[in-house]
Amino acid sequence: MKRREDLIQVGILAILGAAVLLSLALPPLFQSREGPPLLSLSVLLREPGSWTAAREGMEQAAEELGAELRFLTSTTPNDSGEQADLLLREIDGGAAALVAVPADPEALSAALDQWLVVCPVVTLESPMRGAAGTAAPDNALLGQRLAQALLEDWTGGEEVLLLESAGGGVRTRLEAAQETLEAAGVPVRRAGEREAAARWMMAFDASTTLRLAGEREAEGLDFTLYGVGSATGLTAQLERGNLAALAAWSDYAAGYLAVQRAVEAARGTDGQVEPLGFSIIRKEDIYGSENQKLLFPVTS
Amino acid sequence: MTVFRRLAAKFGERYRRMSIQMVISLSFTAVAAAGILLMGLSLIWRFSAANQQLVAENSQRVLAQANLSLDRYLRRMMRISDAVYYRIIKNTDLEGGDLSAALGLLYEENRDDLVSLAVFDSRGELVSAAPLSSVKAGADPAGSDWFQDASQSMENLHFSTPHVQNIFDDPDYPYRWVVSLSRYAQLTRGGATEGGVLLVDMSFSGIEQVCRDVSLANGGYLYLIDGDGELIYHPRQQLIYAGLLEENNREAAAYRDGSHQERFQGQTRQVTVKTVGYTGWKLVGVAPAGSGVTPQAVLFGLSLLLFSIFLMAFLNYRISVWISDPIRRLEQFVRELENGWEGAVLVEGGCYEVQRLGRAVGSMVSAMRHLTNDVVRQERQKRRSELEVLQSQINPHFLYNTLDSVVWMTESGQQAEAVQMVASLARFFRISLSRGKTIIPLSDELDHARHYMNIQQIRFKNKFTTEIQAGPGTEGLYTLKLILQPILENAIYHGMASAEDDGVIRVSAYREEANLIIDVEDNGLGMRPELAASLLEEDQPEVRTSGSGIGLRNVHQRIRLTFGEGCGLTILSEPDEGTLVRIRLPALTREEAGSGWQGEVL
Repeated sequence: MKRREDLIQVGILAILGAAVLLSLALPPLFQSREGPPLLSLSVLLREPGSWTAAREGMEQAAEELGAELRFLTSTTPNDSGEQADLLLREIDGGAAALVAVPADPEALSAALDQWLVVCPVVTLESPMRGAAGTAAPDNALLGQRLAQALLEDWTGGEEVLLLESAGGGVRTRLEAAQETLEAAGVPVRRAGEREAAARWMMAFDASTTLRLAGEREAEGLDFTLYGVGSATGLTAQLERGNLAALAAWSDYAAGYLAVQRAVEAARGTDGQVEPLGFSIIRKEDIYGSENQKLLFPVTS
Repeated sequence: MTVFRRLAAKFGERYRRMSIQMVISLSFTAVAAAGILLMGLSLIWRFSAANQQLVAENSQRVLAQANLSLDRYLRRMMRISDAVYYRIIKNTDLEGGDLSAALGLLYEENRDDLVSLAVFDSRGELVSAAPLSSVKAGADPAGSDWFQDASQSMENLHFSTPHVQNIFDDPDYPYRWVVSLSRYAQLTRGGATEGGVLLVDMSFSGIEQVCRDVSLANGGYLYLIDGDGELIYHPRQQLIYAGLLEENNREAAAYRDGSHQERFQGQTRQVTVKTVGYTGWKLVGVAPAGSGVTPQAVLFGLSLLLFSIFLMAFLNYRISVWISDPIRRLEQFVRELENGWEGAVLVEGGCYEVQRLGRAVGSMVSAMRHLTNDVVRQERQKRRSELEVLQSQINPHFLYNTLDSVVWMTESGQQAEAVQMVASLARFFRISLSRGKTIIPLSDELDHARHYMNIQQIRFKNKFTTEIQAGPGTEGLYTLKLILQPILENAIYHGMASAEDDGVIRVSAYREEANLIIDVEDNGLGMRPELAASLLEEDQPEVRTSGSGIGLRNVHQRIRLTFGEGCGLTILSEPDEGTLVRIRLPALTREEAGSGWQGEVL
């Protein structure tokens, strides 16, 4: 009996000794020498426009969180069908997660419906059903505030042209602005393109705003334009007086948050992205301390 | 307090039920585990403190190096400013000369670090600039902070915080981040001097390059702030500007040079501060103030701790078995003795004290066994002696002779003597029986002797006389019964056998201090003193008398068995002079006799 007890004790002693040796040996075995594998993320933009700051934010997040990015742009701007094809191809190619600026969130959601569980999608600019998150300002609020900026300048009587350019978040801004203007008794009309007679115009995406401001400057036109975006080109147009007001947010933050959320979703972590803050900036406010930080990314 | 007391009571109860081996094993293990834990914690603490010291030293070293590089960079900018001012501006009269070419040349030489060089007059009008030569419409240089600082504090050079340069008209609208170095400048125009401001816009990337590749221990980083805590450089500056990250830069501005501990956003950090000369800027190194203990080290430490504790427990168990086994065997031996197992054997072993204890117990047990044997032997001897005495009372020869004497006296008409003899015989036997008691009153014993001597005197036709007397102080004393009759028998058969009506046997009892002395003295033949002395020796062959058959030695042994070695008989004799047998007994009162000899007192 006593001998049996001794044998049991020696056995336990041996097991514990082995445990010590294992605790020494196991961590290096499980620790990869090259660190955790990089997550492959694909980023699909709806049009080639000015995404420089957003890309910088994305790259910063990718570097910090261990991801590699593939940037894609559809050959035809705002073509939701092509976007869906590209995203499906990326999913098939083994992308861990996708970041997209959807041209038509509804159509893209329908096309990707069954794949969203396999490969999480995070959107920029517009929310999408089934997406793991959206990095964008509150589009409705942004539309309202931009309309209010116009109301501050509007002298009365003349019609305001609301330029339709894309669906999703862009359309939400437009609808919110239209509602605000109509509520204030401002005659509004939607249009796909600029009209020569229009004196007041509002654009709700960066590329349309930049294009219209450029046309105003190049052709010496005299309409009053309100737009959105925070690209350097837009800031320059604002400074040169081709834009009356600009609804701007940090594209850098949007890009960073989109990739951060995509990495989290790819690693199975729940979460969401809070709506981004934005400012309505006029020419005289450009070089305010906070606006400088918002409009001009610190780059070397 | 009650809980503590209850715990203490429970522990005490458990402790009382524990074996010595368990107590040794548990206490050794507890002490060893506490020692290991204490040592481990102490080592971790020392390691952590040393690690933090190393981190602080490393941060200070790195910051000193970064400070050196930054200082060198800023001094270069200051030299450029000096060069513009002392070599170009001071040597140029603006009325006839132009600064642009010289400024352009200097800019080209340092274009990697510079964004622009410009000279403004006291109203903020551009005098000259490179590489751009015009100011934006609506730009207000005089309202800029750098202009105001230079105008107000003329003798100093002023470094601004990073900002976007917005005064020059650049068709590309590059919006570069710059740090402006401004100073008051005396401009010469038509031989007269006037005030102005010299602006050197340093590329932000120059500062970034100095600070960017600096890394501190534990994944730490470095940032640069001005005297008010405004960020100049931070490795994640854009995230901070975008509101996605916060830094403790405002608090850090209040720190003095050196290492500090701070808690920011739930993380304890070691912050090292170094002030950059002249500018008032501060380099701030941030390193997580971790103990340097990795999860793997914790896992290993825990495994090692568990292993050590178990090893200690195992070794302590073995040691406690080794120490306590002899004690356990000793305890088992004592328990076997308690249970009455005669064959119990003590195996000695263990350390010195245990061996001593074992030997003492063994010796005690041996003595106990001898004592027990002695008691048993003595009890047997005592019972045998008493039996012999009792048997002597019904000695057939004595009875036959006595009854024959009674018949003879009756036939010869001596009824009175016959009646006396029969009465004495009856009284003799009644005292002999004494209801089974062995301790009887002295008066009964003397009566017994008296009746015996009455019978014997009649039988021996009064060849001797008997005197029995009890001295003062003997009243109420007790004695062992039937001790006189054998002595009297010896006196009659050995002392009075040849007496011619002049034999005297005297029995006298008296008290001598705490003893009762009974002397039996005759004036018979006596014997040699050597023979008298040898009569009571145990190794002498037993001499049975021709009388009642009980010898002196029997009486002597009975007395000594009952009262101890100090009591017994003493025989004094001289040939032809007689013999004195002295009986020494303790002077027992009824109470003493009753308490000492339960069931033996009459």
